[in-house]
This record gives sequence, structure tokens and C-alpha cells, in this order.
Amino acid sequence: MTAAALSVRDLGMQFEGLSALADVSMEVPAGEIHGLIGPNGAGKTTFFNCLTGFYRPTAGELWLDAQRVDGLPTHVLSALGVSRTFQNIRLFANMTAIENVLVGSHIHIGVGGTDVLTARRPSKYAALERVLSLRGAPRAALQGVVELAGAVGRPPAVRRAEAEAVNTARRLLGAVGLAGKENVLARNLPYGDQRRLEVARALATRPGLLLLDEPTAGMNPQESAAMVGLIRRIRDEFETTVVLIEHQMRVVMGVCERITVLDYGRKIAEGTPAEVQRDTRVIEAYLGTRAVKEAGDGSP
Amino acid sequence: MNPIRQLGDTTVGRLPAAARWPLFLALVAMLPFLLSGVWIQMLFFVGLFIVLGLGLNVVVGFAGLLDLGYVAFFAAGAYSLGIMTSPGSPFDLNMNFWLVLPLGVLIAASFGVLLGLPVLPLRGDYLAIVTLGFGEIIRLFLVNREDVTAGSQGLSAIARPGIGSFRIETFTHWFYFILVAAVIVGFIASRLRDSRIGRAWEAIREDEDVAAAMGVNKVKYKLMAFAIGASVGGLGGVLYASFIGFINPAAFSLQVSIDVIAVVIIGGMGSTPGVILGSLVLVGFPRILQFKATADFLSKFEWLRDGLNGIIAAADTVVPGSIGRLPAASEWGRELSDDTRFIIFGALLVAIMVLRPEGLVPSRRRQLEFESDDQPVPAGGAA
Ligand SMILES: Nc1ncnc2c1ncn2[C@@H]1O[C@H](COP(=O)(O)OP(=O)(O)OP(=O)(O)O)[C@@H](O)[C@H]1O
Ligand SMILES: [Mg+2]
Repeated sequence: MTAAALSVRDLGMQFEGLSALADVSMEVPAGEIHGLIGPNGAGKTTFFNCLTGFYRPTAGELWLDAQRVDGLPTHVLSALGVSRTFQNIRLFANMTAIENVLVGSHIHIGVGGTDVLTARRPSKYAALERVLSLRGAPRAALQGVVELAGAVGRPPAVRRAEAEAVNTARRLLGAVGLAGKENVLARNLPYGDQRRLEVARALATRPGLLLLDEPTAGMNPQESAAMVGLIRRIRDEFETTVVLIEHQMRVVMGVCERITVLDYGRKIAEGTPAEVQRDTRVIEAYLGTRAVKEAGDGSP
Repeated sequence: MNPIRQLGDTTVGRLPAAARWPLFLALVAMLPFLLSGVWIQMLFFVGLFIVLGLGLNVVVGFAGLLDLGYVAFFAAGAYSLGIMTSPGSPFDLNMNFWLVLPLGVLIAASFGVLLGLPVLPLRGDYLAIVTLGFGEIIRLFLVNREDVTAGSQGLSAIARPGIGSFRIETFTHWFYFILVAAVIVGFIASRLRDSRIGRAWEAIREDEDVAAAMGVNKVKYKLMAFAIGASVGGLGGVLYASFIGFINPAAFSLQVSIDVIAVVIIGGMGSTPGVILGSLVLVGFPRILQFKATADFLSKFEWLRDGLNGIIAAADTVVPGSIGRLPAASEWGRELSDDTRFIIFGALLVAIMVLRPEGLVPSRRRQLEFESDDQPVPAGGAA
């Protein structure tokens, strides 16, 4: 997929009383590696959850290229090119490494039928619309039957698609450094490999916008250096925009072209790594007033 | 062909994988020449529960959706045939068996989707409870809507299949019929498991939100699992009704759902050999206990009964109140398979779950899963 431009307009996410995101706007041009940083609980992961349909934003708009995408279901967003990894690793633990990647290739393996994709955003009259959308039910049922027949009959086209997907999966596993571990259950992989497998799985969906949630968390310096190399290679070899959440400043400053800083759900700064590093509000948020105050409270 | 499925094959002896199933089936096909009628009848029921088990396995084993109302689809199939072919049915359509067979499967499949739609957002225990209720609703419908189902009176003289002038009548015919059905269902299930559909199910079983983030339409694949499972249940129902020739609501109790799920779990979830073994143990064995041959054999143990009764009598003199006496040894088999059956199987179930939680013949994958439970699992997994 070609890299997609992301446009966020006044995004808000409210959890009963707690405002996890408020008035967040940002533009990420196609092909950029964009950093997203902020103290713990700033709302970074919540931002990804809104982008992938895990949460439905309570305010604002999300645009992917020229299409408004907020409120779309997760699998549709994935088909539109939004893919992600998870801060707390969420692999298919009891599937092998290559099977994890093959699930990522899911929509690219035609099995006789195609997925029904309604990229229409649900309107306010959601309940009514759900009833009306039964209009598409016969078509969906027919396609389901065709897909089942394709899987059972395994015509040459299906065999070819499957073989191709397996090749791609092997290539992706090789690219992230997991060659030779294809048939290991994901849960049995070492921690660093699990993080890399998440990246390979996300790449298998052929993303136009790749969301990486703390890909170096819990890694030792060598491993995170390798991850930085991998992110650079992703930018060079895969056509995709990358948004990267990261706590290690060395990593963020090293790979990101521009950075957005969140604090308490609000955007407090944006710019190049050098600009952000100099920004007083950022310094305050990280080690400024709060840290000083806490230290002050503790001292007699 | 598929390089990622090296896992799926359990290594049995040194036989090449491709030859194992044909050889096994050829051996099974010879059984009617070796065994008498009651044995073949027993094997028909074993085959029926293999079919049902393979169907439910798609829902429970592959997609991880705990369905405790499987009897509903079995009943849908059986009553489709009953209502459309029995002379006693309120609508005596007198239809041909082969016409009703696909209809029954289709009707059961629609029931599957019908059940699937409302339970889509439910997970785990909640799903189990709702499906349990669904099975009960269907049974109550059968009892109460006499204008449709003839109520507890039941439907009799249900159509039997024929091919030209040849009629499928004897136990042996039915044995081969169910064998063919089981092979077809088994083939379909294994093909689905090794496709992107099977992987989508597995991904949903592991973590449905992440599966969706990888592009899997979970609504579609959950409904697909329910529909496939229900179709197979319907197929089993049609075959059962035709074989028995008479159905009433009593035959479609919760017990059927429990039996099928026990077959799937005891054998080893996700594994075809497991379903076969599970069905032999849970469905075949109790029937063998009821055979006259078994009674004759057990009657040789009359001395053991006398001995045990002597001990009981001695105990009776010490302990106030009578404990009762053991029945004749020839009755033991029947007694076991009737009342005590549930106690025995309950114990068996607990024993298996404690000693071999992966099932008797686990799929290669489950084996891996359980093996690796002993090692410290690296951080991660479905958090
Ligand atoms: N589902 C939810 N329900 C209620 N509150 C939530 C939910 N998800 C997140 N929050 C809250 O939103 C805030 C932001 O959380 P989020 O996980 O986005 O932080 P983060 O920036 O990713 O932090 P970290 O660096 O620790 O990962 C937190 O206060 C969190 O408790
Ligand atoms: Mg986070």
C-alpha cells in the first residue's frame, strides 16, 4: 500500500469524567516517521486505540488521505491501511510465528470470495441503519459460501494465493530477524523476538499507516538499537507512514522527523526533535514543575 | 503442499501421513464383515457422534466459541426430516429423503446464524449460558407447538433414503452411510482448518480484538463458525431421524449437547482422532455394556457378587440400617450404563481433565501448548 497521510482534527476521548484526549490536532504527511511522546498516562496509547477503532472518539475527526475514518470498525480500518503493534505484547500466543504473520496477510489471501467492506461511517441512526444494512445480507451470505467453497475445494488460485502469502510471511520474518523461527509458538519466543514478530505481523497487512506502541519497551540497548535499525529499514523498504510512541529519548530523537508531545491528553508541543527538546513546556512536563513540586513535597 | 501445517500431523508410527487415513478407513470399512448386528448398530451411533463432534469442534475447538446448545441444530435437522416426511406430521408433505437432506442442513444453518447474531458480542461464560438457553428454547418449542411438531406424541415412520430401487435399511447400510458422512465432514473440517478461514478462527479464539486489527472481520467469521457447526448438527439430525424412524422431544434434551461437547473435550479439542476416540469411549462403551453378550460374560462373575454381598451382609449386621445388595452379575453392565453411567463418566471426565487436560489424543498444536505450560512463559501472550 502507498503511504497514507494522517490528519487529526480536535480529537477528544472522554472516559466517564476522565478526559484522556482533548483537542488534539496534528498532521502527519505521507511517508513521515512521526514521534509521539509524553509522560505516563498522557494518552498516547488511547490515541492509537482511537485510530484503530478500539475506542470510538467522543469528539473530533480522523482523516486518512481524503477519507474520514473515525468510528469505522477495526477490521475496516485495517483494510484501509491502518496497522499497529501493542505496548503490552498481544500476539496470538498459541499460534506459530509464521501463522501470526499469515493472519496479518488475511485480507490479501483471496479464497474465492472477498470480504464485504462497507467503509461507510455509521450515522447517528445506528440502530435503524443496522436493520437497513440487512439489505446486504444475501450478498454477504453468498460471498461467505463462495469463500467456504474456495477453502474446501482449494482451486489453483487459492493454492497460489496461499503459497504467495507463505513466501511473503517468510520474507517478513527474515526482515525482522526471525528467520528459522517460523514454526515456534509465539508464546515460546524470547521477549525481544515477540516484539519483532508483532512488527512483522503488522507489516503483513501492508499498512499505509503503521502505529508502533513502544516497540523497544523492555529491550536491552543492543536490542533497541536493532529495533531502531528495523524502523529505518521499514521506512526505506516499505511505503508507509509511521507513528512511533517511545519513551527512550535516544530512539525518538534518532529516527523521528517530527514529534508531537502529549501531556494530560493535550498536545503541548510539536516540531523537529531539536525544537521539541528545547521547548520549555516539554521540559516542564517531563522534569519540570511536577517533578520539582513532588521533590519539594518530599523534603522537610 | 502447505509448509506451515507440518504441525498438524501427529506422527503415528512410520506410516507416511498421506496413507494413514485411507488405511484406517479401509480397516473400518471391513468391520461389518467381522461384527454382528448389535455391534454395527453401536458403531452407527459412534459414527453419528463423530459427525456431531467434528461439527461442534469447528465452533468450540477452532473458533473457541463455547456452544452448549448444540442439540438445537441436531433437533432442527431431525425435525426438518420428521415434519416433511412423517405421515403423522401436521404437514404431511411426504417428501423424498434426498430432497430434505440439504433442506434440513440449510434450515439448521439458518438456526446457527440466528443464534449467532445476538450472541456475537458475548464471550466465554456468557456465551455458554445463552447457547444453553437456546437449546432449551428449541426443546420447549418442540414440546409445546403441537400444531407444528406433534408435541410429545412424536413423529413416526420417517422417510428412509434409497438410491433407485436400493433402500438404505439394514444396520450395515447405515453404517456405511454414516461412515461416508463422517469422512466428508472430516475432510471439510480439515480443509477449513488449513485455510485462511481456519487461521481467522484461531486468531479470534486467541484475541478477537487483535484479530480485527489484523483485518479479520470477526462478525463474519464467528457467524461462519456457527453456521458450519449448525449445518453439521443438522446433517446429524437428519441422519439420526431417518435411522431411528421415530422422534419426540425427549430425544433432544440437554444431555445430547453435553454428550457432544464431552466427546470433543475428552478426545482433545481440535483433533479429529480425538473426536473418534472420544465418541468410542463415551457413546460406544455404554452401548457395549448393554449387549446381551456382555451380560452373558458378566454372569460368569456370579461368585464375585456372592462374595461382595457377603461382605455387605456382614457390614449390615454392624451398621444399623440396610445397605441393600448387588444385583445379579449379568445385570451389572446394564446398571452401569443406566443410572450409574453419569457417576462413572463424571469421574472419568474429572480424571482425564486432571491427568491429561489436553484430551486423550490432542492435536499436535494443543500438545505444544500444554508442553510449554511447564516452562516459564516469557512475558506477553494475550495480555
Ligand atoms: N478504557 C479506559 N477506560 C478508562 N480510562 C482509560 C481507558 N483507557 C485509558 N484510560 C485512561 O486514559 C489515560 C491515558 O492512558 P494511556 O494508556 O493512553 O496512556 P499512555 O500515554 O499510553 O501512557 P503509558 O506511557 O503509561 O503507556 C490514563 O489515565 C488511563 O487511565
Ligand atoms: Mg501507552
